[in-house]
Amino acid sequence: MGLTSFAVDELGDIVFVELPEAGSKYEPGESICTVESVKASSAVYAPVGGEVIEVNTSVKEDPEKLNKDPFGESWLVKLKIANQDHLKSLLSASEYESAVEQSKH
Amino acid sequence: MGLVKYRDALELQAKLVECRRQGSISDTLLSLQHPPTFTVGKRRTVHNIVSSPEVLESIGAEVHYTERGGDVTFHGPGQAILYPIISLREAKLGARRYVEGLEDTMIKLCALHKIKAKGRMTKETGVWVENRKIGAIGVRISGGGIASHGLAFNINPDLNFYTHIIPCGIPDKEVTSLHKESFLQLPDEDPVTQQLIKCFIEVFGYEDVTWKTT
Repeated sequence: MGLTSFAVDELGDIVFVELPEAGSKYEPGESICTVESVKASSAVYAPVGGEVIEVNTSVKEDPEKLNKDPFGESWLVKLKIANQDHLKSLLSASEYESAVEQSKH
Repeated sequence: MGLVKYRDALELQAKLVECRRQGSISDTLLSLQHPPTFTVGKRRTVHNIVSSPEVLESIGAEVHYTERGGDVTFHGPGQAILYPIISLREAKLGARRYVEGLEDTMIKLCALHKIKAKGRMTKETGVWVENRKIGAIGVRISGGGIASHGLAFNINPDLNFYTHIIPCGIPDKEVTSLHKESFLQLPDEDPVTQQLIKCFIEVFGYEDVTWKTT
């Protein structure tokens, strides 16, 4: 999981990322990591419940990477999904894009 | 709210954030001042506190570690603090636009006193008069998109307190205040604080406002 480019834009230049520990478990919607930009520290939520398998330490060391490639190199956390049903409540990429467009009006 | 200890303000904000998340209250603004207090942000940049804990205790200052964004800063009497507890989600504001609104609030107040201030400084969020910092920002956005903490505007604090820190981690820039920058006769702190709140209301477009004093 990570941030979308829309989220990165809304946040402003990211300067700090705090990531969870591998092995920790989260419920959907629970705050799983924190991102700081423009003096605002924002909670990032787990989209699904699960256990953290791996975190992207390169982003922790160089948070500015998130500003450039959120969909690629700058993923944040790999989660082992606890319950496949959680995926049903998520938006697909195209549904997300329409939601973003609508929110601009 | 007058002078409120930092810990008490944190507790109050936590309760209000929860109420706001549940929708039992609408957007709420706290206006207060703190006794001499140094605070550290989520990044824990403690190296920017120059003086030892013993020295800080001897001058009557507390030190608090917080979950807000931003670096080390000072709060004290003479500095107007606004803690808006608002739903950024309902306001359709991202972090960046919200923080820009906080900057604009303080810039607007400076303009009322004929002081030209600016914000939008990359990597140096806050409000500046030339290269002197007059207003600081540190925000926390919790689950549900609820903002807490906020802004601190120097009306007339004792600027000597800032010598104990590298404010916001920026070593070469001065800190200033409305009193220091203004050549005009200034009203007392209370009217200036009221003006600051009105600037916030205007910048964020609130129409239906209830004022309460505690």
